[in-house]
Amino acid sequence: MSVALPPGRFTRLVLKVNVFLLIALALAAAFMAMVAYKQGWFVRQSPLHFVTPNALGINKGMPVKLHGFTIGQVGELKLAEGGVDVQLSIVSEYLRRIPQGSYARHAREAGVIGTAVIDIVPGEGTLPLAEGAVIRFEPPRGISEIIDDFRRQAVPAFNEVKQAMSQLGRSGEDLTAILSALRREVEQLPATHRAARNLLQEATKATAELNQQAATTLAATARVAQGVDRALPALSEKLNASIQSIDAAAVQLKKTGEEAQATLRDARPLLDHSETAAREAGDVLSAAKRTWPLSDSFKETSEGLLPIDSFEAQGKGRVR
Amino acid sequence: MSRWLAAWLIALTAACSAPATDRGSPAQGRLSEAEARAAALARSGDYAGAARFYGEALRIATSLENADAIAANAINLSVVEQWLGRDAEARAALAAVLDEPRAGLSERRKTQAELRRAILEAASGNLGAAEVWAGEAERRCASSCEYAAAILNVRAQVALDSGRNAEAARLAGAALERARGDSGRAEAANALRTAGRARIAAGDAGAALGPLRQALEIDRALGDPRKILADLTELARAADAAGDAQAARSYKERGLAVSRAINDGRSAAETEVLLRR
Repeated sequence: MSVALPPGRFTRLVLKVNVFLLIALALAAAFMAMVAYKQGWFVRQSPLHFVTPNALGINKGMPVKLHGFTIGQVGELKLAEGGVDVQLSIVSEYLRRIPQGSYARHAREAGVIGTAVIDIVPGEGTLPLAEGAVIRFEPPRGISEIIDDFRRQAVPAFNEVKQAMSQLGRSGEDLTAILSALRREVEQLPATHRAARNLLQEATKATAELNQQAATTLAATARVAQGVDRALPALSEKLNASIQSIDAAAVQLKKTGEEAQATLRDARPLLDHSETAAREAGDVLSAAKRTWPLSDSFKETSEGLLPIDSFEAQGKGRVR
Repeated sequence: MSRWLAAWLIALTAACSAPATDRGSPAQGRLSEAEARAAALARSGDYAGAARFYGEALRIATSLENADAIAANAINLSVVEQWLGRDAEARAALAAVLDEPRAGLSERRKTQAELRRAILEAASGNLGAAEVWAGEAERRCASSCEYAAAILNVRAQVALDSGRNAEAARLAGAALERARGDSGRAEAANALRTAGRARIAAGDAGAALGPLRQALEIDRALGDPRKILADLTELARAADAAGDAQAARSYKERGLAVSRAINDGRSAAETEVLLRR
């Protein structure tokens, strides 16, 4: 059984297929162009070289950085006289920022750990490096070199500690001498004790004589005291009146304090109510802020970013 | 009747198209709370506390893969670390934006981060690096970008520190032109101050007094004591170089009073040394 096709179904079929293929081709080309652009194929790059006796840790595609900013990547690695010739592909725009005398070194972004990069250390020259120039390379320090370094710095310190310990040992002999001298002094203590008792007896005699003199002085003092006795009653009356006034003021103060306490007690529920009302109002407002169509009207105006102020480029932003 | 039905349908469609209330996950809540606490501490002057909470917010934002929040908190952290005088930490905070390419990071955030890095490098005296980062920020920032004036001011500052006085004056002039509106007043004052400093450096101290006085006026209106002190110090230098000893002494005394008031002992000592001369 044959199915009847509508007339004109396949007219200009070749043209339609060609248009479809053309669009597909154009899309594929656009995609490839985008990939090429993202990969940096359209960015002009200039080569720089260095030769290292050991290329361990250096890989093709490793980023090349200047002042921590990526300016290119490691290109080709070739075996050459005296080691490996490493070609760095630098974005031509940044080549002018690498002065003559610059050198490359193997570094990591966060000290000992982190991504390995080739760091360009700028030189003192005023002219930029030429395209294809060969620069010096400072290889990374191995763990054995780091340990050697540490040993070199630590050995003098250890020697000093050793010397100090031996001095302490020698001072042990002096300590023995001091202890024996101390023992001799302790043996002489009873004699010292006897001398101290004699001194005390003499002091007692002197005190008795002093007492006799003091009796005379006391008689004079008694006479002065009688004078004071006469003046005291008048002074006492005045003092009594003052104390009564202070007492009355204290009673008044106490009453005022009690009244204030009562007022505060009465106001407490009112304060509690106010606090609850304020909290509820806050909740209602927050809910309203989240609800359409009010939400758009309550958007935060600030994005919460602290000011980026060029004044701080002067190094004066430190002390605020 | 059909009109009412149509109106009701439109209202319903609009309500449905409005974004749903973002209640947020617990982590999102913690992020907002850490950001709010950091901002409050920064406002109250507790920069060490602010740095701690911005660090926490950055950690939470990283766990949520929220690129915008990562960038904002990294930039804020770098600002407070610089205020604390910890440049290495400030640089490390920015690495979260500059060294790790992230999807969904806006050009604006990248510009902010590059500008911050340029400011940091210039403040540390790494003029080459500052120039590179300012150049990157400028390349990303279109002519009407809100940070155009700040970028030009950083470039002017770098040029001035490198001894290129004419270029510094030109860049400061361009920054002044771009710093428009209320938000640009701080950068306008910075541009005027740099222009004044460039003129002093070029030996034209008399011409420096005008822009420096304008900068002082703006900074007093903005109420930033550090900038007022910087303006008074530069004005004293300019008046001194122009031969007006009385005006120079007056500016120095005002600077000393400001310096003592903001408890900047070092600066007060420097001003006192200047006054004794």
